[in-house]
Amino acid sequence: MKYRKRIGLFFLNIFFILICLLCLIPVLYALGISLNGHNDLLSSNVSLIPQNVTFDNYRCVLFEKPFFLWFKNSLILSAFTVLISILVAVPGAYALSRKRFRGRKMILNLLILLNAFPAILSMFAVYRILKPLGLINSFTGLILIYIGTMAIFGLWNMKGYFDTIPEEIEEAGEIDGAGDFQLIWKIVLPLARPSIIVTAVMILIYVWNEYIFAVTFITSSGKYTLAAGLYALQATDYTRNWPVFSAASLLVSIPVLVIFFCIQRYMTSGLTAGGVKE
Amino acid sequence: MKKKSCRPYLYLAPSIAVIGLIVIFPILYTGYISLTNMNIYHWFHPEFVGLQNYAKAIFVFDSGFLSALLRTVLWTGINMVLQMVVAYIIAVLLNTEGLRAHKFYKTILMFPWAMPGYVSILLWKMGMFNNEYGLLNQWLGKLGLNGVRWLDGNVSAFLSCTMVNLWLALPFMIMIIDGALQSVDKSYYESATLDGAGFFTKLGKITIPLVRPVIAPAVVITIFTTFKQFDIVYLLTQQQGSKTGADIHTVITYTYEKAFVTNNYGYSAAVSVLIFLLLILFSMFTNKELKEGYR
Repeated sequence: MKYRKRIGLFFLNIFFILICLLCLIPVLYALGISLNGHNDLLSSNVSLIPQNVTFDNYRCVLFEKPFFLWFKNSLILSAFTVLISILVAVPGAYALSRKRFRGRKMILNLLILLNAFPAILSMFAVYRILKPLGLINSFTGLILIYIGTMAIFGLWNMKGYFDTIPEEIEEAGEIDGAGDFQLIWKIVLPLARPSIIVTAVMILIYVWNEYIFAVTFITSSGKYTLAAGLYALQATDYTRNWPVFSAASLLVSIPVLVIFFCIQRYMTSGLTAGGVKE
Repeated sequence: MKKKSCRPYLYLAPSIAVIGLIVIFPILYTGYISLTNMNIYHWFHPEFVGLQNYAKAIFVFDSGFLSALLRTVLWTGINMVLQMVVAYIIAVLLNTEGLRAHKFYKTILMFPWAMPGYVSILLWKMGMFNNEYGLLNQWLGKLGLNGVRWLDGNVSAFLSCTMVNLWLALPFMIMIIDGALQSVDKSYYESATLDGAGFFTKLGKITIPLVRPVIAPAVVITIFTTFKQFDIVYLLTQQQGSKTGADIHTVITYTYEKAFVTNNYGYSAAVSVLIFLLLILFSMFTNKELKEGYR
């Protein structure tokens, strides 16, 4: 019996190694291609790439395309979006969680409904609204769009977490004469840290990965984010140059991968949207 | 006392202002556009045409909306079933007693979730499905078979998209089901085994009833995201300038094309409104799960 169990585990491990490989294959293949200066499988477009030099594809991405400019744009956009979204959503989520007021139920139901609405469907209307305001091809316009889209998620996610924090702690603070601001700053924020971190990171990743609004609302490539730039390049220059495209893809992904795996331990507690409760 | 009662509104005001401007007002505006003939020729002074756009979407079968809707429902159904079954099997196997590398495997399996979605999709397109140097056709070549033009035909493109969606969506599902399985008290199984219950009895009588309420919200949310999926179909087959010839529009890519490619804004807006109404209807049925899910 024990022997049989061991054989079973052996095959199970083989099964999981295969599944993991299957799971990583598109990325591993891209990595291999991007490091390989000359590859006989790529005879059709090998002339575009300098032969034999391993990191040439990466150099090409970094220095022949405005990679750093786009990187900077992505940083600016995501920093502002995250900061403002959190500043906007924390008090809102606090009010929805702690205060009882008229229209609260209605707002909550409306948020669920709006969350079901795919942003792409109203993209054209947003365009017509922002155009007369002079917010096309401007970071301000794009940041506004990102904040508006992510505010719904931020409100829900943090409201849900605030709900799990016992109110008694705040009541004690209230008796000691603390105002709302102090309550939020000194008590709620420190306790809600996992949820705020996850919310912020989710917004950051969203902005980092968003390309369709970025290419629609930004018209000059000097203002592109990394995602928009990569998208535009694959549609034009990189179509026939898969090694350089793989190098660019991996470079763009690395920051997101690092951040994602850093906050993974907060994921289950901070993202209750998963339905997993502690 | 009066001051206190208006404070919540003050706290909510910034959120409401920005959501109002970017989400609510555009939706209402979309509703208005849907009643006009706004297009490239009528950009500034569109005329009011009543429900004409809606009639075209619903009653003119050639318009493509109904077939896109049918395809989207099929897409959502197939993907959800596949996802649930595969994720369930993997999660159960992950929880096998004595599997020491459990954590390691789980971390690797989360990888597709961590990658930027559009990057993964483009890597699949260029690396796996490409006709000449894609890995899939290279493998087929080694087996002595002819390459398949994966993204060109309707059926093969649909299956390719399903494959990519499965790859992208499984990590989240595995995480959810894995978490739910771990919350089930092991002693139930022990006593069931003592009573002589088999695998399927345990599955039907213990696992599913206990796991269902935990994963239901996540499943409902995933149904929404699958229905709304835009990137996979668009990037694999519909990208401007590199269309593959497969017509596997879902309602979302269909609406996008009507607005941004053929510039038929009024019609596209009408379709948007119809989709929104469908989503409202569906979220009314699943209101409970949704609230749980976002809590």
